Amino acid sequence: MRISGLRCWKMGNREEYPEIITISTKEIGSEPVAHWRVVKPVIKYETCIKCWVCVQYCPEGVIKESEKGPIIDYRFCKGCAICANECPVNAIKMVREV
Amino acid sequence: MGKLDLLSGNKAVAYGAKLSRVQVISAYPITPQTPIVEYLAEFIANGELDAEYIYPEGEHSAIAAALAATIGGARGFTATCAQGLGYAFEVVAQAPAYRAPLVMGVANRTLGWYWSVASDYSDSMPTRDLGWIQFYAESCQEALDGVIQMYRITEDERVLLPGMVCLDGFHLSHSSEPVDIPDQDEVDEYLPPRKIYKHTTDPTESESYVYPSLPVSLHTTYRKIFENAMQRTKDVIREVTKEFSERFERDTHGLVEEYHTDGAELLLITMGSMSTAAKRAVDRLRDRGVKVGLIRMRFFRPFPSEEILRIVEKNGVKAIGVVNRAISHGTSMDPLGAEVAATLYELKNRPNIINFIAGMGGGDVSIRDFESMVNKLTNTLNKENVRETMYVEHPIKIETPSVKFSDAAYCPGSQLCAGCGATLAMRHILKILGKNSVLVFPPNCVSASLAMHFPSSWMGVPYVLANYAAAAAYARGLQRAYKYRGKKVYVTVIAGDGCTADIGLQSLSSAAESNEPIIWINYDNEAYMNTGIQRSGTTPLNAWTTTTPAGVKWHGKKEEPKDMISIMIAHRIPYIATASPSFLRDFESKIKKAMKVVEKAEGLAYIHIQSPCPTGWRFPESKTVEIGRLATLTGVWPLLEVDHGTFKLNLKPRKLKPVAEYIKLQGRFRHLNDEDIAMIQKFINKRWEKLLELDGKIMW
Repeated sequence: MRISGLRCWKMGNREEYPEIITISTKEIGSEPVAHWRVVKPVIKYETCIKCWVCVQYCPEGVIKESEKGPIIDYRFCKGCAICANECPVNAIKMVREV
Repeated sequence: MGKLDLLSGNKAVAYGAKLSRVQVISAYPITPQTPIVEYLAEFIANGELDAEYIYPEGEHSAIAAALAATIGGARGFTATCAQGLGYAFEVVAQAPAYRAPLVMGVANRTLGWYWSVASDYSDSMPTRDLGWIQFYAESCQEALDGVIQMYRITEDERVLLPGMVCLDGFHLSHSSEPVDIPDQDEVDEYLPPRKIYKHTTDPTESESYVYPSLPVSLHTTYRKIFENAMQRTKDVIREVTKEFSERFERDTHGLVEEYHTDGAELLLITMGSMSTAAKRAVDRLRDRGVKVGLIRMRFFRPFPSEEILRIVEKNGVKAIGVVNRAISHGTSMDPLGAEVAATLYELKNRPNIINFIAGMGGGDVSIRDFESMVNKLTNTLNKENVRETMYVEHPIKIETPSVKFSDAAYCPGSQLCAGCGATLAMRHILKILGKNSVLVFPPNCVSASLAMHFPSSWMGVPYVLANYAAAAAYARGLQRAYKYRGKKVYVTVIAGDGCTADIGLQSLSSAAESNEPIIWINYDNEAYMNTGIQRSGTTPLNAWTTTTPAGVKWHGKKEEPKDMISIMIAHRIPYIATASPSFLRDFESKIKKAMKVVEKAEGLAYIHIQSPCPTGWRFPESKTVEIGRLATLTGVWPLLEVDHGTFKLNLKPRKLKPVAEYIKLQGRFRHLNDEDIAMIQKFINKRWEKLLELDGKIMW
């Protein structure tokens, strides 16, 4: 019996695929999720007391400590507003984006 | 006359079951079948359907319960697919022997291989030889009609075999089409009430029951008798589906559907929803003068060989293309192709045959694909005795993700919901566990999110995707491999509440009893959130879920949640704790303690984390941490640990906050009145007193 392929025109490339697909643990990666956001957290640095509660509670871990205060990686912020809700001094304001 | 409505395939199946007046429903959530049983729960909750509803701990039990209900004289219904059907395989194999007319909905989905939740027949095809009738729907209308027809067929005294109503996952199960919902009176006229047979197990009505095992010398004979019943079923199907078509004025009958087969030189044979695209291709090609026709398999079991032979002989078909979402590995054919080829053996002038393997994992098979298939068939016309297999491939380029992180245990950008408690928990768990760990993931939200950036992951440690009921066993095997090879690796299971408290409990219990040094983290979002908020063993009392809706008859979940901590205490494992991502210092110290326990190979460490779920609990995603905190401060989620037998309450507020503060924030408790809340408060107070009593005590 003959076995052959019927690739649909245009759609595919003709590269060879590995027999076993593996994931790297050395280098991981993902795609930005900024487009999920409806509201965006904005930090009022003059109010911030650098308690880093937002850094701890950000589910995505996209808030980093810095000398001037927390810095948000907006590429990966989903806009859940937990940081604003948890901030003890209301130093994070949620601003409508869409 | 019926009523026209826009229904998804799943809702159509639920309507079919409702109109068939099913009496006992038993099912377990699995994508893409789940909405079938959600709609049925809603029908019962609203008082539209009078039926018993069973919540088993997994598919093995779900199908067993529905089967047993049918053995016991009720009209039983169940639904599942893919891994669920595989898990229940043993029960599925057993069912035909009882000659009980059980009907099962199957929202076809890939079984095992490379994990897809979309449609192919790798789940129902392996069950084809077990003695079930198999019906494959092409449209949502046929899914509804199929259920009603199937009850009529299976309950016919010439048949008495279980039947599957298969519909393509997502392609049908989640696509909406206008569906004519017949009137209840019309269906009642077509489908008489369930009868009690001589062999029905009912001591009050029947004087006999099915003999459960046979002497070896009768096995072959009974296989023959059974096969005769299967063959006899063909006539019943032809007869009762014809009656259905006449009564409901819809052309939906027979074992196969013929489409432009008159004078067909070329013939496509298809199954399920892809047949619609195939028919459009036939239309286009007929317009161009190509003599092509189509046979759609409505029933795959019993196999309609007579129909196929008749059509091929009558029209002098020269080449056949069998297209299917299945493959029988090791034969280079799919089961349908193999059986069509075997059927053609009887003919003197056999047509050429090409078996097209297409649409695996739910891939789309387009009209153009079918046109090019017919083209391939045409090319064989000047040859003889062609038998070939072709793969309809739509390859994509494998690309790496756009943002990369080196040497991290975790990176942001998971596809978990905004404000997900489990994301927060996972981030801190991975931070503590570090890179020298292997995670075992049974199906849950987190594991589903891991493979969404093909071919990368947001987790920098290797993980193994475990089968639902065997998560602990996967961890045991991995741990023993590292032990044998002299390695120190933290093997950690990240399971949800469904796996821990329901389907995976016996595997967990066995590992706990055997003192396997593994960490079991149960992130408890108090329902099956991955499949879309169905009740689990740890769902709180009165909570709304899609399978415990609040309606005229129902008032949320009727039962109290399973006390997993007491179950683990009964196993006397070295470390047991509850934790909350709202109390991160406590949370992290508990993970560290669990790591110490497994490092010293003392036994299993169990950590039960409450993971607030904005989507399932119906609260704004900004309140995840606040709700977690309130759960602890109201006594709903006490932070405790049992460290080598010593019970300790980690957080003892002087006075608990009223439970209403916690409950009123969540939509899943919206239907509760003050009385209900007072009842919950009473339960919490009582439990808190008990916990205070236990504080500092040695448990064993």
